[in-house]
Amino acid sequence: MRIDSVPPWPEGIEPQVPTEGYAGTFTHTPAVPPIRRPPGRTELTAPRDLAAKLPCGDDNLAVLGHGRMALGQYIHIAGRILDEDARPIAHAVVELWQANAAGRYFHPIDTRDAPLDPDFIGNGRIRTDAEGRFGFFTIRPGAYPVPSKNNWWRPPHVHFSVLGPASLSRLVTQMYFPGDPMNAYDHILNSVPDAAARERLIARQLPPHEVGLGWLGFVHDIVLRGRAATPEQP
Amino acid sequence: MNRALPTSQHTIGPFFPRTYFGPTDHDLRRRTATATPSPRGEAIRIAGRVTRAGGEVCVNALLEAWQADAGGHFDHPADPDAAAADPDFLGWGRAATDAEGRYHFLTLLPGGYVEGNHRRAPHVNLQIMASGLMRPVLTTLFFPGFSAENAADPVLAMVPEGRRGLLLAQAEGDSEGLRCFRFDIRLRGDPAEETPFFVE
Ligand SMILES: [Fe+2]
Repeated sequence: MRIDSVPPWPEGIEPQVPTEGYAGTFTHTPAVPPIRRPPGRTELTAPRDLAAKLPCGDDNLAVLGHGRMALGQYIHIAGRILDEDARPIAHAVVELWQANAAGRYFHPIDTRDAPLDPDFIGNGRIRTDAEGRFGFFTIRPGAYPVPSKNNWWRPPHVHFSVLGPASLSRLVTQMYFPGDPMNAYDHILNSVPDAAARERLIARQLPPHEVGLGWLGFVHDIVLRGRAATPEQP
Repeated sequence: MNRALPTSQHTIGPFFPRTYFGPTDHDLRRRTATATPSPRGEAIRIAGRVTRAGGEVCVNALLEAWQADAGGHFDHPADPDAAAADPDFLGWGRAATDAEGRYHFLTLLPGGYVEGNHRRAPHVNLQIMASGLMRPVLTTLFFPGFSAENAADPVLAMVPEGRRGLLLAQAEGDSEGLRCFRFDIRLRGDPAEETPFFVE
């Protein structure tokens, strides 16, 4: 797949930076505005098969091994990786990571006194299929407080990192859960000015009868920047 | 044709999993974890520190590098000369900063290439993601010793003249037989010192 053209970011989709309520953005966001450059060959290319470098296939975070079931509400997150023409992106690498049910990450930097779950790591990496689809079994993550002066809690969310067909289609984002009252107070979700763009960061829950008894189902599509070249007609 | 709006970017946060890093992910010369590094070119080491406001170090930042092979080609359909690309060179790598904000990559000195009416100087694109960065930042590293090429590079020409030097890596001797280049990234600081960043 080849990205052909790249419209500028539409108004209201990019988060406002620095971000009100998120102190770290005031020390990390560059003070000088970035220089806008037309995408060239280096920006329009990326590794053809990154899955050879980054091993993929870890799609079940809920079961660590035989008899090692994570604590929490079992869920499945399914979706597609699309380009700006809503065409599926095959063989994108999708990385997902999240906190456990108590809102603690399996990461040496997370030293909060919430319990770790010995049966939950919370990281997975897969490659999308020919139709751009991905799916992960996991648990619903817990909310957690951000060490800060403003009593800020992150609502339950799942981190996504996607590596697509061009280096400029690289995306790091987060997915939220529908109907969570904490969504309204989150400084990160609400840094996105456009309400419809915020809504697109919230997964859709499937009716339970469409999913089955083992888990709750969520659907979440992710759109990368760029429009693919029109495929050649045979 | 359907239109879909791109998904908003968010910060990578402080907890990008360490288990995602393989021991050779920072080596752009290898297509797989166990592949032999491509020998087609001059092996080099690129290293530096990532700092934020006040010169404080940026810990657990994620850097991703992407560049052409030593002949200036990409193994990708957007390169008209993709067939000439080095079949063993990946050109992509990933590194995290340590407790002192340091990162390093192993790669081959990239070749320049012709694009349209311009000649691109040898360069490496770097994308930096970190807690506190709601949008990743993109920059491009150029090499000393290519003054004619750098002077003609159309991307470097977009940077105000006084800031171009900030995109030039510094030659810093040898280590284990490889030439070393230092490239520090200052996310935020005095505009005279802040690394120039790009957006497409
Ligand atoms: Fe998080």
